[in-house]
Amino acid sequence: MSRIKSHARKWAAVESVCALALLALPLTFAPTPAQAATPQRIISLSPSATEILFAIGAGRQVIAVDDDSDYPANAPHSSLSSFTPNVEAIAALQPDLVVLQSSATKAAAVESGLKKLKINVYLENTPNDITGAYAEYTDLGALTGHPSRTKVLIATMKSQIGSILSRVKHSTSLSIYHELDNTLYTATSNTFIGRVYKDFGFTNIADAADTADSGGYPQLTSEYVVAANPSVIFLDDGAYGESAASVAARPGWSGLSAVTNKHVIVLPQDIADRWGPRLVDLYKFIASSTANLAGSK
Amino acid sequence: MWNWRITAACTLILILVMGAAVSFGPIHISFQQVLRTLLDLPSAEHGENRTVILQLRLPRVVLGALVGAALATSGAVYQTVFHNPLADPYLLGAASGAGLGATIALTSTHHNIASLLPVFAFLGGVLAVLTSFFISGKFFAEPNTLLLSGIAVGSFATAIQTYLQQRHSDALRPVYSWILGDLTSASWSVVSWSAIYIGFALAILFSVSKQLDGLMLSDEEAFSLGINPQRLRIFAVGAATLATATAVSASGLIGFVGIVVPHLVRGITRRVTNRSLVSVALVGASFLVLADLGARTLLSPAELPIGVITAFVGAPFFLFVLRSRRKANF
Repeated sequence: MSRIKSHARKWAAVESVCALALLALPLTFAPTPAQAATPQRIISLSPSATEILFAIGAGRQVIAVDDDSDYPANAPHSSLSSFTPNVEAIAALQPDLVVLQSSATKAAAVESGLKKLKINVYLENTPNDITGAYAEYTDLGALTGHPSRTKVLIATMKSQIGSILSRVKHSTSLSIYHELDNTLYTATSNTFIGRVYKDFGFTNIADAADTADSGGYPQLTSEYVVAANPSVIFLDDGAYGESAASVAARPGWSGLSAVTNKHVIVLPQDIADRWGPRLVDLYKFIASSTANLAGSK
Repeated sequence: MWNWRITAACTLILILVMGAAVSFGPIHISFQQVLRTLLDLPSAEHGENRTVILQLRLPRVVLGALVGAALATSGAVYQTVFHNPLADPYLLGAASGAGLGATIALTSTHHNIASLLPVFAFLGGVLAVLTSFFISGKFFAEPNTLLLSGIAVGSFATAIQTYLQQRHSDALRPVYSWILGDLTSASWSVVSWSAIYIGFALAILFSVSKQLDGLMLSDEEAFSLGINPQRLRIFAVGAATLATATAVSASGLIGFVGIVVPHLVRGITRRVTNRSLVSVALVGASFLVLADLGARTLLSPAELPIGVITAFVGAPFFLFVLRSRRKANF
């Protein structure tokens, strides 16, 4: 028996040596490419970037957009996938700039594959706030040769959002719940959408439930929502069949003040989940759907 | 004699399959150009197609062949060692352990850790198998105890993995796509390190393949043939685990190869012997290269997870082989 054990130990030692050897693997990082001339064949694999590119006047340089980009209507829609990009399928269209979401499947591998083919890649990170979104506008404006028009767009958006917010009666007594899906995942004030609500001065019921590792998107329990009794419920899952009626039908939710006062609001999802220039419309939508509420409590 | 012929046939199939896989893709490249590029002959066409063939397609095809060979061979060895036709390379917790390692890397906030994903997956897989071994205590004195401790360790790792994944909803997508397995991250650097580990492990397994047949007898009989069964089992499972963990860390969890291919080869050759281990490796390689060709082209311009294809094609084919084998044997 002891012989067997000693063999096992030997084997264990061999395996741990192999494991350590793996740790020392050389990791290669793709070098950043040099900036080329203004791109004329852009592929956008991000619905937000598509909206931004068309708003800053780079629409004519865009040759294809991904299957989720549905705005603007005249964008060159294609069946390219933003979720699972295929390097060769992208390369087949011979682009000179590809906007790739960093959250796409194997984004790093797709990026390095495109760079091997000498195709420029703009890796788009999901912004944490509107400042981050404007930074992306500026990047894309500079990359595509429309910096001044981008500046004007940002200034216009800032003044429009400012004037919407100035007309709103800020009231922290209004609490909101933003529903991402019907398993009660939500967004705190530390997220992009959460900061929009914060601009209106609303109290977000998710904030108290936030934990260090939820990344700003904690999952609530039904009991928690009932106890927090939000004054407004924003549904970001209307596309998945949730509505004021389905919320009211949930056990224990019929007495929520948002339900009894009919303040369960289905958000226009394509606007609420993106950070393109239609953000102004999101502010307008929230302002108008809560207009008769502010200060009423 | 039969063995030599079958091995030669399997090699030929693998070469053809790899040739086809390099030739097809969303970008149309003529077969002639592919051959010229592969043989490094001068060609009239521009360099972009060369990059597509040599940097995008070829590493992926080679990695697919390596991973397929590793999973199929490990599966055959596990089935022999455990006397269990249902055994697969993930049996002792390698998959769940690697899944946990990968999830830890993907949910980590440090970018450096995320880039070490293969290392984490490898360590997770190896650690899970080692834990199963040490918990079962007597190693192979009780193969069923080892199997059960493998299941327990696997469930435990999966529990932690699921917890981490639910706590980091932003990492759900990468975790999910890793679990389904894919070869999109193939590059020559990945190919070179996986080739070293998988080549080493397979060389060990091929060299003991004749002795492995002795494990199908009782331990007393095996001893009389000059085999130390305990030692051989630990050696074989160790090498199979090294191959599996490397495959998993390079390509995620690709299911079904380890269980279908050994039975397929045995079903076709009508022989339950480990002398066909080389053929098992070659068929495993061809199977996965073909599956990845499907993953790249079926839903083009999107990618399909390769695990979907291996199971979708593998399961009915497997049932077909099982049925025809049953008719032949009983």
